[in-house]
Amino acid sequence: MPTPRIQLRGLTRRLPSGNRLLTIVDRIDLSIVAGEFVAVLGPSGSGKSTLLALMAGLDRPSEGEVLLDGRPIQDLSEDDLALVRRRMIGFVFQSFQLLSNLTARENVLLPLELAGTAGAGDRADSLLAAVGLGERGHHYPSQLSGGEQQRVALARAFGPRPPILLADEPTGNLDRATGQIVLDTLEGLRRDSGTTLVLVTHDADVAKLADRRIHLRDGRIEREDTRVGEPVA
Amino acid sequence: MTSGLALRMMAREVRGASGKIAFFVSCLAVGVAAVVAVSGLSNGIEAGLRHEARQLLAADLSVRAEKAMTERVTQLVRELVASRPGAGTTLVRELATVVSVPGASGSPGPSALVLLKAVGPEYPFYGAVTTEPASPLTLLLDDDGVLVAPELAEKLRLTVGSTLKIGGEGFVVRGRIVSEPDKMSAPLALGPRVMLSLGGFARTGLEAFGSRIERTVLIKLGPADGAAEANAAAQKLRGALPEAAGVRVQTYTDAQPGLRDGLKWASRFLGLVALVSLILGGIGVSQTVRAWLASRFDGIAVLKCLGVRPREVVLLYTVETALLGLAGSCAGAAIATGLLAVAPGLLAGLLPAIPIAAWQPGAVLRGIGLGTGVALLFSVAPLSALRRVPPLRVLRRDAEPLSPGWLARGGVALALVSGIFAAAWLQSGSVKVAALFAAGMVASAALLAGAARLLTRGMARIARERVRVTVRHGLAAVARPGAGTLPAVTALGLGVLVVVAIGLVDRGLTSRLRADLPKNAPNIFLVDMQSDQWPQVRTILERGGASEIRSVPIVNARLTSIDGVPAAELAKRGPDEGRRKWILTREQNLTYLDTLPEDNVVVEGKLWSDPDHAEISIERDFAKDMGASVGSKLVYDVQGVPLELTVTSLRTVDWKSFGINFFLVVEPGVLDRAPQMRVAAARVAAGGEQALQDRLAADVPNVTMLKVREIVEKVAALLTRLGKGIRFVGTFSIVAGIAILAGAVGATASRRGREVALLKTLGVTRWGIVAMFAIEFALTGLVAGTIGTVAGSVLAWGVLTRAMEIDWTWRPVFLTVAPLATVAMSVLAGIAASAGALRRRPIEVLRSE
Repeated sequence: MPTPRIQLRGLTRRLPSGNRLLTIVDRIDLSIVAGEFVAVLGPSGSGKSTLLALMAGLDRPSEGEVLLDGRPIQDLSEDDLALVRRRMIGFVFQSFQLLSNLTARENVLLPLELAGTAGAGDRADSLLAAVGLGERGHHYPSQLSGGEQQRVALARAFGPRPPILLADEPTGNLDRATGQIVLDTLEGLRRDSGTTLVLVTHDADVAKLADRRIHLRDGRIEREDTRVGEPVA
Repeated sequence: MTSGLALRMMAREVRGASGKIAFFVSCLAVGVAAVVAVSGLSNGIEAGLRHEARQLLAADLSVRAEKAMTERVTQLVRELVASRPGAGTTLVRELATVVSVPGASGSPGPSALVLLKAVGPEYPFYGAVTTEPASPLTLLLDDDGVLVAPELAEKLRLTVGSTLKIGGEGFVVRGRIVSEPDKMSAPLALGPRVMLSLGGFARTGLEAFGSRIERTVLIKLGPADGAAEANAAAQKLRGALPEAAGVRVQTYTDAQPGLRDGLKWASRFLGLVALVSLILGGIGVSQTVRAWLASRFDGIAVLKCLGVRPREVVLLYTVETALLGLAGSCAGAAIATGLLAVAPGLLAGLLPAIPIAAWQPGAVLRGIGLGTGVALLFSVAPLSALRRVPPLRVLRRDAEPLSPGWLARGGVALALVSGIFAAAWLQSGSVKVAALFAAGMVASAALLAGAARLLTRGMARIARERVRVTVRHGLAAVARPGAGTLPAVTALGLGVLVVVAIGLVDRGLTSRLRADLPKNAPNIFLVDMQSDQWPQVRTILERGGASEIRSVPIVNARLTSIDGVPAAELAKRGPDEGRRKWILTREQNLTYLDTLPEDNVVVEGKLWSDPDHAEISIERDFAKDMGASVGSKLVYDVQGVPLELTVTSLRTVDWKSFGINFFLVVEPGVLDRAPQMRVAAARVAAGGEQALQDRLAADVPNVTMLKVREIVEKVAALLTRLGKGIRFVGTFSIVAGIAILAGAVGATASRRGREVALLKTLGVTRWGIVAMFAIEFALTGLVAGTIGTVAGSVLAWGVLTRAMEIDWTWRPVFLTVAPLATVAMSVLAGIAASAGALRRRPIEVLRSE
């Protein structure tokens, strides 16, 4: 059996809230194989975003392990975690998180430059073209619509061909039509690159696109199902 | 991360931050300009002195003495000249005396105190005396001719061909002196210059026993001789002459040692004043960097998500801060270079009349180094916070950087204090001064920060609901989180402290000098008087309406030993300079009196109480410096005759009485027959001084009358001009403080814009909002102004009463105006910085929310 791309073992995250500790993520075990598209669903406060942050090493678990390609990351230093993200993980956020002082092209270029990718400029241009913004590379984020900004964010995330892409409500700030364009772009890029995608959403329609859906409630996995709606054994 | 990528990222980072960058650069530029201007001026004068050194001495070497040169000195100079082919000497005599123009019909003509300079035919060896009309000096200065300074010509209405009486002898004015190579600008000169030949000087008869004449031998070495030969020759002369010979040997490479010493101290003092401005700039930088980085937290979190390591983030922004520091420092250095270009014109009369180059690479490097260092030093705290920006912020906006631990806080504080100490050390050249400066800065900043904290807490707790809405909002604004009250109060308060302290010291010193002389205190002194002239002089004084007339004899003597230990040996035991050395090696003035004047009080021993020994009474501090006490046996050499004196009393003297007083008073009968001069003092009614001087110049021309009021006025005028220079440097501190206040307001522009929009939406008029802001800034200014004024007053009190021994005078107007002016400046700067926010229309802000 191949090593899972992402493996979570007994993952728990507790945060102080007033005088007590609040358990946000509670003993989660999960394996995601390479190339798989997993959607994480759940109501607000169910721990979706925290789970994503723990997978990416943006937050540290109170207990349990996060393994990427079989390598635990929870005890790595901040500098080493940054390197893990640089080499393995791409991000797409609900609020786009483009750097406002960079143009669209420079935003796409940045992770490519960090990774030392040869022909970074050409790749950035081709990615912008792929997301339909080939002519808008010189615009700053404030000069782009929400949908356009999210497509730039997609191009940036896929730039260095990360094995893993983590997306947090990528259509949450967009209207339905624009959200659909973004999802189509995301799915197209993922298929082309074979990237493992973990997408957090509370939108069931968006989740339908995933190979597997993880339903969270109160920090625990309530249930899992597959694309066709079959419960996972 | 490659360096190319880092550079690209830095370039992208500064885009769109022009406002913050401008403020950052301005904060530093003000302080660096002050540092570079002070250091550059000092370096420029130093370089100018060295460049013009030969002209400024008018020779390669000079030998000076206040007494007639001994045969030994003359012999050594003769041997030196004989040993260097092409070498030569010329003599110069200088003294202060009174000259006059002939009177008409029995009444004396007008007179003036002048600085007389008699020169030999070879003078000057280097440089030239420029005259009007232009003509060689040897032609103008025959034994009957004199040259006069323009101001004397104007005062006595002298033209070419006029007669001028010097020592009672008539001379013909041959022209005006436009410039002399070896005369520096002398703001404290007793009078204008009169130049004549040595032959002419001999005619005046002023070189009598005891006259205060500076005698100089100017030596020109051979054509091939340079600095090394001049120094070797000087060393040889110094080695061959005993210290007691009272001869000073100087080469052109020494380049005005007295002036350079003064320059060194002035530049150290002003350098520290300038450093205050730079440190205030540092506070502004810290504030800007903090605000700038806080606005970048989201971007930094994204960078960390994209794989930029925390240490790379810190390095990136540290290099960027350093580069901005460098830019600010370069801007400051450019401003200072511009100032230096106009300084000689603005400070004419205060600076030596030598070319001063505006471009001073040493000063520029010092300023850039200090500026960049201060920028980094004051950015350590905000930069170190970057490591702690959580990448999780991309998902949760409320994820703030973790608080630093006490170790980190302590490390930052230690770095700051060490940095300030190091900068002060560099500026002052003294570890002790640097430690005091750093301690003073830390204490003042802590006091001001404490006051700011009290203000914010006080405003947070005050029962605001009882006051009008405008006042209520203004008070609340001071206390709100992120209001920037603390750095604004600290920076502005420090600026006020510096300016108030300088202002009070300047005023205290000047008014003490200008204060009325004590009742019955003499206001004229007569010197260079032979003993047998006293009856005639006394008659002139009495006829001139003078009162409180007093005269005492003066005998010159040199200390030979104390309690059997030779004075030369005692001198070697102490430091190589200072009053002790001077007392033990130079000739001193002794007088003899039956009873002491009223301003003398015997504090130890008893006056004239030992019938078996010749007695001496010594001023207490003088005795301490020389190492003598009651019972000590002092041996003096009185014009070649040894005289043993026993110390039987120590006295205190009230020098502020302006009376004739001496450190050394001998009992009557001991020195009566020694060669002696007399000095006299008297009080003359205002307006009667000039007539008396004219009469004395006509009847006893060798006697020099010194007017206390005139001398005091000259010193006070000089101090006023110096004060202006110091205040100019100090003003940089206030400018820096104001800039920081404006910066603090600018940093909250977005919050203010939103606030203005909401207030306008709720129906508050623009002027109503201006009033709210004015109250906020007035409170900031009031606290900064009050604390700064109090702390500045304490500092000035310490300097005046402890260091200068001047009585403290309360200056209610100054002490009231200073905080009020701070309030006014604070309100104006604050409102000006809020102009953008005030102009915004509510809809613009509310739409962008």
